[in-house]
Amino acid sequence: MDKEKYAKLEQKISPKPPLLKNVIKAFLVGGTICLIAQFIALFYMTFFNFTERTASNPTVATMIFISMLLTGFGVYKKIGQVGGAGGAVPITGFGNAVVSAAIEHKSEGFVLGVGSNIFKLAGSVIVFGVFSAFLVALVKTILVKMGVVSW
Amino acid sequence: MTIRQVIMMLCVLLLLTGCIPNEFKFENHTDEDASKAEELLKKDNRVKGVAALFHDDHLLIGIRVKTFSRFNKREIAREIEKKLKEEYPDLSVFVSADSKILTETNKLILKDDEKGLKKKIHQLISLAEEET
Repeated sequence: MDKEKYAKLEQKISPKPPLLKNVIKAFLVGGTICLIAQFIALFYMTFFNFTERTASNPTVATMIFISMLLTGFGVYKKIGQVGGAGGAVPITGFGNAVVSAAIEHKSEGFVLGVGSNIFKLAGSVIVFGVFSAFLVALVKTILVKMGVVSW
Repeated sequence: MTIRQVIMMLCVLLLLTGCIPNEFKFENHTDEDASKAEELLKKDNRVKGVAALFHDDHLLIGIRVKTFSRFNKREIAREIEKKLKEEYPDLSVFVSADSKILTETNKLILKDDEKGLKKKIHQLISLAEEET
């Protein structure tokens, strides 16, 4: 059996993923996470001296902290199973990636295990995060120069 | 926690947060004419809520813009500020589309206490100008 034949066979036999269902699930889970974050931002704005613009920093920190706790307790795994990308794309997915890698490599020691592997998954997030931030800033600069949006 | 409990909790939260009033509030402690600002802001159909406080030589205004104008809310605030500066050359005008400024201005209006008001206004302005 050659490669092409095998690929055809594999496609025929393997079950089709319920695409629409997954999309809806991801939308709901991701939306719920963002809704919670919105409430946290509102909390920081109501009870502390944060404006709409400055409240985003402590909100992100709080969301990462919560997701790290949930990862440690093993709850985030279940959220990820249901939500898929809805649990991975928001900033909580970043906290999950950091802590799950740390837990996985704990047995190899704290320096060479945890220390060198903690950013095994999240390292790519940082690299592409910085890169996409650069791209977005570029696009926004152009849009501002054209007068479509304001800073 | 079952899914039913989660849905119930979300419903309650959404119901509680659903009704934030959008209104136009004006409080005048000076002898300037507030109706000019009122007319200008009510005419602007991108704005759906205003809290304006005239005090001493300050005019502090928090605005809430309509949902789809939010992308340009800072530009709208700047535009309104420019117009108001022309209307009130004697006052130092500050307009912000930040919801924090709106709620805090509303609080100052409701409190109706002129003592230390100027300090609070200065505080709010410096808060709104913070970048990060």
